[in-house]
Amino acid sequence: MHILRILQTVDRRVLYVLLMLSVTLPFFLTVRLPMRVSPATQALYDRIENLAPDDFVLLAIDWSAGTRGENGPQTEALITHLMRKKCRFAMLAFEPQSPTLCQAIAERLGKEYGSIEGVNWINWGYRVDAKNFLKGFVQDIPAVIKTTNRQEDVTNLNKFPIMKGIKTASDIKLLINIAPSNIYQTYVQFVAGAKKVPMAVAPTSVMVPEVFNYLDSGQIIGMMPGLPGAGEYESLLGTNTKVTRFANSASFAHILIILFIVLGNVAMLLERRQNARAGGAA
Amino acid sequence: MLEPVKGGLWYAYVLGSLILVAALLAVLSLLPRRAKRYIVMTVTLLGGLFYALEFFLPTHPMMVGDDPNADGNFLTPFIVPMANVLPAISACAVGLGVINLFQLHGKRALKRNADSINSIAFFVSCIGMAAVWIASKQPQASPLSKALGKILFEGALQNLDATMFSIIAFYITSAAYRAFRVRSMEATLLLATAIIVMLGQITIGQLLTAWIPPRYDFLHVEVIRNWILTKINAPATRAIAIGLGIGSLAVGLRIWLGLERGSYFDE
Repeated sequence: MHILRILQTVDRRVLYVLLMLSVTLPFFLTVRLPMRVSPATQALYDRIENLAPDDFVLLAIDWSAGTRGENGPQTEALITHLMRKKCRFAMLAFEPQSPTLCQAIAERLGKEYGSIEGVNWINWGYRVDAKNFLKGFVQDIPAVIKTTNRQEDVTNLNKFPIMKGIKTASDIKLLINIAPSNIYQTYVQFVAGAKKVPMAVAPTSVMVPEVFNYLDSGQIIGMMPGLPGAGEYESLLGTNTKVTRFANSASFAHILIILFIVLGNVAMLLERRQNARAGGAA
Repeated sequence: MLEPVKGGLWYAYVLGSLILVAALLAVLSLLPRRAKRYIVMTVTLLGGLFYALEFFLPTHPMMVGDDPNADGNFLTPFIVPMANVLPAISACAVGLGVINLFQLHGKRALKRNADSINSIAFFVSCIGMAAVWIASKQPQASPLSKALGKILFEGALQNLDATMFSIIAFYITSAAYRAFRVRSMEATLLLATAIIVMLGQITIGQLLTAWIPPRYDFLHVEVIRNWILTKINAPATRAIAIGLGIGSLAVGLRIWLGLERGSYFDE
């Protein structure tokens, strides 16, 4: 078969193997690529940086294992920053897998930064029916939340001193939604918009173009765009964990896709030109 | 308002609610079709009316919950009880979904054909996961049930979920390679935009234009990507979002006022 035809019809199994290699090889290589922090990530970082110790932050975590590759590092970066700043934070989920996944992250980082569950952070667990739930939540947080992830009474201030002074949405200094879905729109509508709570979003890369609308309109104050955003945030924090390697994997995978798209198109155009010269159909 | 109850009273409330619902369903099933339709329409209208009136009626400063500086009207204090009741109703909808799945797969499993094994797999995984997870979350859970819960949730479910999602990357690569061909002006524009956005998204792409002096910052690929996303993409998606919003409003109004036909109000 002619080389130009081969370049246009590469077997999908060859692509799969090359993609697998481009994603996995960076895990075993130490490649440090320069990272330019986007304005949206910088804005989110600055907002947390300007919070006072003990300020209360709500982490609305709505991701499952399917998007762990992107949302996991985002959650880790944000929890790291909040623990370093000694801010109090609560985690709330409308996705059933989230409470277990974020509990593990908070427990692990809590040991590192001396952050104690119930005192510095709390896991409110999984809830259903986001719209109706949030309508009441903004008015009276303890009355709607009621229990933690472990079914313990959140109004027990001896066990959960973190809840002291937390009554309405006005007591939340910052709301951050980490999700691969459009649940952030519900938070914009019923919490950020209704009660003027500053809000940021950490979406997956595929959601980024959509979230730009809300960033552009000022309805959200910052954004951590997917895995690259987590890498940018990590560079701001000065930490260097596996996120950088994950970001390199994403980089190589993107380059592979671009390379094959360009190769396919160049081959197609050259073939057309050859056909035209030979007097055949272009 | 609507304070939670504990102990024997809780069981009495649950039992009473079940009897009440069963009686209501029995009465509803005896009614003629037309009457059932009007009852469903009336309940839908009243249900939707609460939030609409609470939003549109004039408000005045009042104490809401523990917030002395809130604004509201006579319906506002009922928002919190509604927030406790409505999610419980939504949770019942999940239960209905499970009943539906059991009915469907029960029939398929009993047919004993080549597909029956899939339905049996559904029953085993659904009942197994639920039983193990409930057992592992009990206060006196045994180490075995905790370990089983961990194996099924962290070992199986999470990894299966991640695998299913990861497979998409392979299909996207193959599809992008085959579909992105410059066969027309529109396709060329789409391809060029996609490549710029992809390059601007990754560190290697940003490295390609890193040599350009800061004076010509607008030529950096990440700056061009940002411009495309905020100046071209955002207005377009916003227009689509507004269209979707108006469409949703129209559908919502039709359902609320009982104008929608089909599965909402008809048998």
